[in-house]
Amino acid sequence: MKDLGIHLLLFLPVAVAIVVMGTLYAEPDDAKAFGSLPRRFAWFVGGCAVVGAVLLAVEHLFASVS
Amino acid sequence: MAERTATHGRAGGQPTFAVILTWILPGAGHVYIGRPLLGLAAFLVVDGFFLVGLWLTEGRTFEFLQPDLQGPFAGALTPEVGNLGGLVYQMRRYGFGPGFPRPWPEHVHLGAWLTATSGLLNVVLMARVHLEAQLPGRAMRRAGSPDMLVLAAWLVPGLGHALQGRRKRGIVVAVVVVGLLALGTVLAEASNLDRERHFYYWAGQFLAGGPAMLLEVLFGGTRVTGEIPYVDAGLGMGCMAGLLNVLAWLDVYGWEEERVLAAPVPEAAG
Repeated sequence: MKDLGIHLLLFLPVAVAIVVMGTLYAEPDDAKAFGSLPRRFAWFVGGCAVVGAVLLAVEHLFASVS
Repeated sequence: MAERTATHGRAGGQPTFAVILTWILPGAGHVYIGRPLLGLAAFLVVDGFFLVGLWLTEGRTFEFLQPDLQGPFAGALTPEVGNLGGLVYQMRRYGFGPGFPRPWPEHVHLGAWLTATSGLLNVVLMARVHLEAQLPGRAMRRAGSPDMLVLAAWLVPGLGHALQGRRKRGIVVAVVVVGLLALGTVLAEASNLDRERHFYYWAGQFLAGGPAMLLEVLFGGTRVTGEIPYVDAGLGMGCMAGLLNVLAWLDVYGWEEERVLAAPVPEAAG
Protein backbone atom coordinates (compact mmCIF):
# COMPACT_ATOMS: atom_id res chain seq x y z
CA MET A 1 0.00 0.00 0.00
CA LYS A 2 3.06 2.23 -0.31
CA ASP A 3 2.26 5.53 -2.07
CA LEU A 4 -1.36 4.48 -2.54
CA GLY A 5 -2.55 8.04 -3.03
CA ILE A 6 0.03 8.75 -5.73
CA HIS A 7 -0.75 5.52 -7.52
CA LEU A 8 -4.46 6.36 -7.51
CA LEU A 9 -3.59 9.80 -8.84
CA LEU A 10 -1.52 8.25 -11.64
CA PHE A 11 -4.35 5.85 -12.42
CA LEU A 12 -6.79 8.69 -13.11
CA PRO A 13 -5.22 10.12 -16.31
CA VAL A 14 -4.76 6.63 -17.71
CA ALA A 15 -8.39 5.79 -16.91
CA VAL A 16 -9.59 9.02 -18.52
CA ALA A 17 -7.55 8.32 -21.66
CA ILE A 18 -8.81 4.74 -21.97
CA VAL A 19 -12.44 5.73 -21.45
CA VAL A 20 -12.33 8.72 -23.79
CA MET A 21 -10.61 6.89 -26.64
CA GLY A 22 -12.75 3.78 -26.17
CA THR A 23 -15.90 5.87 -26.23
CA LEU A 24 -14.90 7.81 -29.34
CA TYR A 25 -14.13 4.55 -31.10
CA ALA A 26 -17.38 2.91 -30.07
CA GLU A 27 -19.74 5.85 -30.63
CA PRO A 28 -19.58 7.73 -33.98
CA ASP A 29 -21.99 10.45 -32.89
CA ASP A 30 -20.15 13.20 -31.01
CA ALA A 31 -23.07 14.29 -28.85
CA LYS A 32 -23.83 10.74 -27.72
CA ALA A 33 -20.14 9.99 -27.18
CA PHE A 34 -19.42 13.00 -25.00
CA GLY A 35 -22.73 12.62 -23.17
CA SER A 36 -21.95 9.04 -22.20
CA LEU A 37 -18.45 9.77 -20.86
CA PRO A 38 -19.37 10.22 -17.15
CA ARG A 39 -21.34 6.96 -17.08
CA ARG A 40 -18.60 5.04 -18.92
CA PHE A 41 -15.92 6.52 -16.66
CA ALA A 42 -17.84 5.52 -13.54
CA TRP A 43 -18.27 1.97 -14.87
CA PHE A 44 -14.58 1.71 -15.76
CA VAL A 45 -13.31 2.99 -12.41
CA GLY A 46 -15.88 0.88 -10.54
CA GLY A 47 -14.86 -2.21 -12.52
CA CYS A 48 -11.17 -1.58 -11.84
CA ALA A 49 -11.95 -1.14 -8.13
CA VAL A 50 -13.72 -4.52 -8.06
CA VAL A 51 -10.80 -6.22 -9.86
CA GLY A 52 -8.36 -4.55 -7.45
CA ALA A 53 -10.39 -5.68 -4.43
CA VAL A 54 -10.54 -9.27 -5.70
CA LEU A 55 -6.77 -9.28 -6.31
CA LEU A 56 -6.09 -7.97 -2.82
CA ALA A 57 -8.41 -10.56 -1.29
CA VAL A 58 -6.80 -13.41 -3.25
CA GLU A 59 -3.33 -12.17 -2.32
CA HIS A 60 -4.31 -11.91 1.35
CA LEU A 61 -5.89 -15.36 1.42
CA PHE A 62 -3.47 -17.38 -0.70
CA ALA A 63 -0.19 -15.52 -1.15
CA SER A 64 0.41 -13.67 2.09
CA VAL A 65 3.94 -14.12 3.45
CA SER A 66 3.34 -12.44 6.80
CA MET B 1 -13.71 -3.64 -42.86
CA ALA B 2 -16.81 -3.83 -44.98
CA GLU B 3 -16.76 -5.49 -48.36
CA ARG B 4 -19.05 -4.75 -51.28
CA THR B 5 -17.57 -6.79 -54.11
CA ALA B 6 -20.87 -8.47 -54.83
CA THR B 7 -22.86 -5.26 -55.15
CA HIS B 8 -20.59 -3.25 -57.40
CA GLY B 9 -19.71 -5.45 -60.32
CA ARG B 10 -16.14 -6.25 -61.27
CA ALA B 11 -13.60 -5.69 -58.55
CA GLY B 12 -9.81 -5.85 -58.73
CA GLY B 13 -9.42 -9.13 -56.86
CA GLN B 14 -9.85 -10.79 -53.51
CA PRO B 15 -9.24 -8.06 -50.87
CA THR B 16 -7.82 -10.44 -48.27
CA PHE B 17 -5.40 -12.02 -50.74
CA ALA B 18 -4.28 -8.56 -51.88
CA VAL B 19 -3.61 -7.62 -48.24
CA ILE B 20 -1.55 -10.76 -47.62
CA LEU B 21 0.50 -10.14 -50.78
CA THR B 22 1.16 -6.55 -49.67
CA TRP B 23 2.15 -7.70 -46.20
CA ILE B 24 4.75 -10.06 -47.66
CA LEU B 25 5.96 -7.73 -50.42
CA PRO B 26 4.92 -4.05 -50.44
CA GLY B 27 3.14 -3.18 -53.68
CA ALA B 28 2.47 -6.80 -54.69
CA GLY B 29 -1.20 -6.47 -53.75
CA HIS B 30 -1.60 -3.51 -56.09
CA VAL B 31 0.03 -5.44 -58.93
CA TYR B 32 -2.45 -8.24 -58.22
CA ILE B 33 -5.48 -5.92 -58.43
CA GLY B 34 -4.23 -4.44 -61.69
CA ARG B 35 -2.46 -1.27 -60.59
CA PRO B 36 1.20 -2.12 -61.30
CA LEU B 37 2.49 1.45 -61.36
CA LEU B 38 1.07 2.26 -57.96
CA GLY B 39 2.42 -1.07 -56.76
CA LEU B 40 5.90 -0.22 -57.98
CA ALA B 41 5.78 3.25 -56.43
CA ALA B 42 4.56 1.80 -53.12
CA PHE B 43 7.31 -0.80 -53.18
CA LEU B 44 9.97 1.86 -53.76
CA VAL B 45 8.68 4.08 -50.94
CA VAL B 46 8.02 1.39 -48.31
CA ASP B 47 11.11 -0.70 -48.96
CA GLY B 48 13.12 2.48 -49.58
CA PHE B 49 12.42 3.53 -45.99
CA PHE B 50 13.32 0.05 -44.84
CA LEU B 51 16.57 -0.23 -46.76
CA VAL B 52 17.80 3.24 -45.75
CA GLY B 53 16.95 2.34 -42.14
CA LEU B 54 18.78 -0.95 -42.50
CA TRP B 55 21.79 0.85 -43.92
CA LEU B 56 21.87 3.40 -41.07
CA THR B 57 21.46 0.76 -38.36
CA GLU B 58 23.71 -1.72 -40.15
CA GLY B 59 20.87 -4.16 -39.54
CA ARG B 60 21.45 -4.04 -35.78
CA THR B 61 18.06 -2.88 -34.42
CA PHE B 62 17.38 -6.26 -32.84
CA GLU B 63 20.71 -6.17 -31.04
CA PHE B 64 18.93 -3.66 -28.76
CA LEU B 65 17.10 -6.63 -27.26
CA GLN B 66 18.41 -8.25 -24.10
CA PRO B 67 19.50 -11.87 -24.66
CA ASP B 68 16.50 -13.34 -22.82
CA LEU B 69 14.13 -11.48 -25.16
CA GLN B 70 15.83 -12.67 -28.33
CA GLY B 71 13.86 -15.42 -30.04
CA PRO B 72 12.17 -16.43 -33.28
CA PHE B 73 9.13 -14.21 -32.60
CA ALA B 74 11.01 -11.20 -31.20
CA GLY B 75 9.94 -9.09 -34.17
CA ALA B 76 6.24 -9.90 -33.81
CA LEU B 77 5.55 -6.98 -31.47
CA THR B 78 7.60 -4.42 -33.38
CA PRO B 79 6.33 -1.93 -35.97
CA GLU B 80 8.61 -3.63 -38.53
CA VAL B 81 6.22 -6.60 -38.58
CA GLY B 82 3.97 -4.49 -40.83
CA ASN B 83 6.57 -5.08 -43.55
CA LEU B 84 6.89 -8.82 -43.11
CA GLY B 85 9.22 -9.40 -46.05
CA GLY B 86 11.60 -6.74 -44.78
CA LEU B 87 11.51 -8.07 -41.23
CA VAL B 88 12.21 -11.64 -42.33
CA TYR B 89 15.07 -10.43 -44.52
CA GLN B 90 16.57 -8.45 -41.63
CA MET B 91 16.29 -11.35 -39.18
CA ARG B 92 17.81 -13.85 -41.59
CA ARG B 93 20.60 -11.54 -42.75
CA TYR B 94 21.56 -9.86 -39.45
CA GLY B 95 19.67 -11.61 -36.64
CA PHE B 96 20.69 -10.51 -33.14
CA GLY B 97 24.34 -9.82 -33.97
CA PRO B 98 27.50 -11.58 -32.82
CA GLY B 99 26.53 -11.66 -29.13
CA PHE B 100 29.16 -9.29 -27.76
CA PRO B 101 28.90 -5.52 -27.15
CA ARG B 102 30.26 -3.15 -29.79
CA PRO B 103 29.72 0.56 -30.60
CA TRP B 104 26.45 1.52 -32.26
CA PRO B 105 26.46 3.17 -35.68
CA GLU B 106 26.18 6.97 -35.47
CA HIS B 107 22.62 7.18 -36.79
CA VAL B 108 21.24 3.95 -35.36
CA HIS B 109 18.21 5.64 -33.78
CA LEU B 110 17.22 7.42 -36.98
CA GLY B 111 17.63 4.15 -38.85
CA ALA B 112 15.43 2.35 -36.32
CA TRP B 113 12.74 5.00 -36.85
CA LEU B 114 12.92 4.46 -40.62
CA THR B 115 12.56 0.67 -40.48
CA ALA B 116 9.68 1.07 -38.02
CA THR B 117 8.03 3.68 -40.26
CA SER B 118 8.36 1.30 -43.20
CA GLY B 119 6.23 -1.22 -41.29
CA LEU B 120 3.60 1.40 -40.53
CA LEU B 121 3.51 2.63 -44.14
CA ASN B 122 2.95 -0.92 -45.30
CA VAL B 123 0.02 -1.33 -42.90
CA VAL B 124 -1.51 1.81 -44.43
CA LEU B 125 -0.86 0.34 -47.87
CA MET B 126 -2.58 -2.89 -46.85
CA ALA B 127 -5.64 -0.93 -45.74
CA ARG B 128 -5.65 0.88 -49.09
CA VAL B 129 -5.35 -2.23 -51.23
CA HIS B 130 -8.12 -3.91 -49.23
CA LEU B 131 -10.46 -1.07 -50.07
CA GLU B 132 -9.29 -0.63 -53.67
CA ALA B 133 -9.82 -4.32 -54.38
CA GLN B 134 -13.50 -3.77 -53.62
CA LEU B 135 -13.86 -0.77 -55.91
CA PRO B 136 -14.09 -0.89 -59.66
CA GLY B 137 -11.70 1.28 -61.65
CA ARG B 138 -10.45 4.35 -59.86
CA ALA B 139 -13.58 5.18 -57.93
CA MET B 140 -11.64 5.47 -54.68
CA ARG B 141 -9.48 8.29 -55.95
CA ARG B 142 -12.58 10.36 -56.56
CA ALA B 143 -14.29 9.41 -53.33
CA GLY B 144 -11.49 9.93 -50.85
CA SER B 145 -8.34 8.43 -49.38
CA PRO B 146 -8.83 6.74 -46.00
CA ASP B 147 -5.23 5.55 -45.99
CA MET B 148 -3.85 9.09 -46.21
CA LEU B 149 -6.10 10.16 -43.35
CA VAL B 150 -4.77 7.30 -41.23
CA LEU B 151 -1.24 8.40 -42.06
CA ALA B 152 -2.16 11.94 -40.99
CA ALA B 153 -3.67 10.55 -37.77
CA TRP B 154 -0.37 8.82 -37.07
CA LEU B 155 1.79 11.83 -37.83
CA VAL B 156 -0.32 14.20 -35.74
CA PRO B 157 -2.84 12.58 -33.39
CA GLY B 158 -6.24 14.11 -34.10
CA LEU B 159 -5.32 15.42 -37.56
CA GLY B 160 -7.18 12.61 -39.34
CA HIS B 161 -10.41 13.59 -37.57
CA ALA B 162 -9.79 17.28 -38.23
CA LEU B 163 -9.32 16.64 -41.96
CA GLN B 164 -12.65 14.82 -41.97
CA GLY B 165 -14.28 17.91 -40.51
CA ARG B 166 -14.67 16.32 -37.06
CA ARG B 167 -12.66 19.01 -35.31
CA LYS B 168 -14.01 18.59 -31.77
CA ARG B 169 -13.18 14.88 -31.86
CA GLY B 170 -9.75 15.64 -33.31
CA ILE B 171 -8.93 18.10 -30.54
CA VAL B 172 -9.98 15.60 -27.86
CA VAL B 173 -7.84 12.86 -29.45
CA ALA B 174 -4.85 15.20 -29.69
CA VAL B 175 -5.15 16.32 -26.08
CA VAL B 176 -5.57 12.78 -24.73
CA VAL B 177 -2.80 11.11 -26.79
CA VAL B 178 -0.22 13.90 -26.60
CA GLY B 179 -1.08 14.64 -22.96
CA LEU B 180 -0.62 11.01 -21.90
CA LEU B 181 2.62 10.74 -23.86
CA ALA B 182 3.96 13.95 -22.30
CA LEU B 183 2.97 12.90 -18.79
CA GLY B 184 4.63 9.51 -19.32
CA THR B 185 7.79 11.20 -20.55
CA VAL B 186 7.90 13.46 -17.49
CA LEU B 187 7.40 10.52 -15.11
CA ALA B 188 10.02 8.40 -16.88
CA GLU B 189 12.36 11.42 -16.97
CA ALA B 190 12.68 10.94 -20.77
CA SER B 191 14.18 7.46 -20.35
CA ASN B 192 11.22 6.14 -22.37
CA LEU B 193 12.48 7.93 -25.49
CA ASP B 194 15.07 5.32 -26.31
CA ARG B 195 14.50 2.15 -28.28
CA GLU B 196 17.76 0.69 -27.05
CA ARG B 197 16.68 0.97 -23.42
CA HIS B 198 13.00 0.05 -23.66
CA PHE B 199 12.58 -1.85 -26.90
CA TYR B 200 8.94 -2.95 -26.63
CA TYR B 201 7.59 0.08 -24.75
CA TRP B 202 9.15 2.15 -27.52
CA ALA B 203 7.27 0.07 -30.09
CA GLY B 204 3.95 1.03 -28.51
CA GLN B 205 5.00 4.64 -28.12
CA PHE B 206 6.00 4.79 -31.81
CA LEU B 207 2.31 4.53 -32.68
CA ALA B 208 1.79 8.03 -31.23
CA GLY B 209 3.72 9.22 -34.31
CA GLY B 210 4.99 12.77 -34.69
CA PRO B 211 4.87 13.82 -31.03
CA ALA B 212 6.88 10.73 -30.00
CA MET B 213 9.37 11.47 -32.76
CA LEU B 214 9.66 15.11 -31.72
CA LEU B 215 10.15 14.26 -28.05
CA GLU B 216 12.84 11.75 -28.97
CA VAL B 217 14.66 14.33 -31.09
CA LEU B 218 14.49 16.87 -28.25
CA PHE B 219 15.07 14.71 -25.19
CA GLY B 220 16.06 11.23 -26.41
CA GLY B 221 19.29 9.64 -25.24
CA THR B 222 19.20 11.35 -21.85
CA ARG B 223 21.65 9.75 -19.42
CA VAL B 224 20.06 7.99 -16.47
CA THR B 225 22.13 8.74 -13.39
CA GLY B 226 19.90 7.48 -10.61
CA GLU B 227 16.71 5.68 -9.74
CA ILE B 228 13.60 7.04 -11.47
CA PRO B 229 10.77 6.59 -8.94
CA TYR B 230 7.84 6.34 -11.35
CA VAL B 231 9.57 5.00 -14.44
CA ASP B 232 7.13 2.08 -14.74
CA ALA B 233 4.13 4.38 -14.74
CA GLY B 234 5.83 6.63 -17.28
CA LEU B 235 6.68 3.76 -19.61
CA GLY B 236 3.15 2.42 -19.37
CA MET B 237 1.62 5.79 -20.15
CA GLY B 238 3.87 6.44 -23.14
CA CYS B 239 3.14 3.03 -24.57
CA MET B 240 -0.57 3.36 -23.91
CA ALA B 241 -0.69 6.75 -25.65
CA GLY B 242 0.50 5.06 -28.84
CA LEU B 243 -1.83 2.08 -28.51
CA LEU B 244 -4.84 4.33 -27.86
CA ASN B 245 -3.94 6.33 -30.96
CA VAL B 246 -4.60 3.15 -32.95
CA LEU B 247 -8.25 3.39 -31.85
CA ALA B 248 -8.27 6.89 -33.36
CA TRP B 249 -6.87 5.54 -36.65
CA LEU B 250 -9.56 2.87 -36.76
CA ASP B 251 -12.24 5.48 -36.10
CA VAL B 252 -10.86 7.68 -38.90
CA TYR B 253 -10.55 4.75 -41.29
CA GLY B 254 -13.98 3.30 -40.56
CA TRP B 255 -15.68 6.66 -41.03
CA GLU B 256 -13.94 7.31 -44.35
CA GLU B 257 -14.37 3.75 -45.61
CA GLU B 258 -18.11 4.03 -45.08
CA ARG B 259 -18.13 7.28 -47.05
CA VAL B 260 -16.09 5.78 -49.91
CA LEU B 261 -18.23 2.66 -50.14
CA ALA B 262 -21.39 4.76 -50.14
CA ALA B 263 -20.14 6.98 -52.99
CA PRO B 264 -21.80 6.44 -56.40
CA VAL B 265 -19.85 4.17 -58.76
CA PRO B 266 -18.99 5.73 -62.16
CA GLU B 267 -20.68 3.92 -65.07
CA ALA B 268 -17.55 3.81 -67.24
CA ALA B 269 -15.49 2.11 -64.55
CA GLY B 270 -17.67 -1.00 -64.24
